[in-house]
Amino acid sequence: MKVAVIQFPGSNCDSDAVWALERVGLRAELVWHTQGSLEGFSAALLPGGFSYGDYLRAGALAKFSPVMEAVRGLAERGHPVIGICNGFQALTEAQLLPGALLANNNLHFTCKDVSLRVERRTAFTSEYKAGQVLRVPIAHGEGRYYADDETLQQLEDGGQIVFRYTQQATRHGPHAYNPNGSLNDIAGIVNARGNVLGMMPHPERVVDEVLGGTDGLGFFMSLKRALEVVA
Amino acid sequence: MKYHATLLIELKNGILDPQGRAVEGVLQGLGYRAESVRVGRVLEMELEAASADEARSQAEKIGKALANPVMEVFAVEAVKELA
Repeated sequence: MKVAVIQFPGSNCDSDAVWALERVGLRAELVWHTQGSLEGFSAALLPGGFSYGDYLRAGALAKFSPVMEAVRGLAERGHPVIGICNGFQALTEAQLLPGALLANNNLHFTCKDVSLRVERRTAFTSEYKAGQVLRVPIAHGEGRYYADDETLQQLEDGGQIVFRYTQQATRHGPHAYNPNGSLNDIAGIVNARGNVLGMMPHPERVVDEVLGGTDGLGFFMSLKRALEVVA
Repeated sequence: MKYHATLLIELKNGILDPQGRAVEGVLQGLGYRAESVRVGRVLEMELEAASADEARSQAEKIGKALANPVMEVFAVEAVKELA
C-alpha cells in the first residue's frame, strides 16, 4: 500500500505530504511528473505549490504532464486521488473534479488559519465527526471555488461538498471565514464516485503539535483506513 | 508556410474579475470614466501550416486545449501569413 506523491516542477508541499502520510504509518514515495505509470501505487496525492510557476492558470499546465494519465487511470479504477491546494487546482483543470478555482476576490495571496467544517464522513474524513470544526491553514492566491449553478446544485444534492469554511470558532478561537470568496463556502469536494478529493486548505501542515496543531491527522488516518479496506 | 496567430482568452461574462476591478479602480483614480474593465490573456504564436485555414484550425485546437471551459472563453483573433 503505497501512496504516490506527484512532484511537478514547482511543487513545494511534496515533502510535507510524504511526511504526513508516513506519520500515520502509510508508505509514500515521490513520483516525478514525467513518469507515465503509477503501477504499484494504491493512491495518488497531488501536493501544493506552484506547478509550472502557475503560468497560464494555477494547475493549468500540470494537467498535460504524462503522469496525469496514470492519475486518471487510478481514479477510474476507484483508487483514492487527493489534490491539496495546487493539486486541487490541477484536478479541476484536468476535469477529474468539477468547477474551477479563481483568483481570491480580494486579490491577496492569503496565508492564515481557517475554521473548516467537516460536512460529512467520506473515505477521506471517516476519522472525523460530521459537523466537526477543524483549524487548518490555507496559503493560496487562487482559491475561490466557482462552478455554474447546475454543478453547484449537483454537488449539494449529491453530498459532494466535504469541507466548508465556517464562522464557527475552534477551541483555538475564531479564524478567517471564507477568505477567498468561494461559492457556497466550498473548501473541499469529492467527485460523484467519492474517490477523488480536492481541497484548498493544507491538512499536511497540521499533523504534529510542533507544527501548531494536529487537526489534519484525521484526514491522513482516514485515508489509511480507506486503503486498508481496499487492500 | 508560416502563419502568425493571436489567441485571446477571457473570463466568461458574469464571472467576477477582481483583476479587472482593481484596474478599473486605478483608471477611475486617474480620471478616466472607465467601467466594466476585464482582464484577459493574449497568446501569440507562429504556426507551420499549409494554408491560412489550416493555421486557424490549429489555433482553434490550441485554444480548446489551453482555455478552461468552466470559466473562460477563447477566440482566434487574427491569422496572418508571415512573409
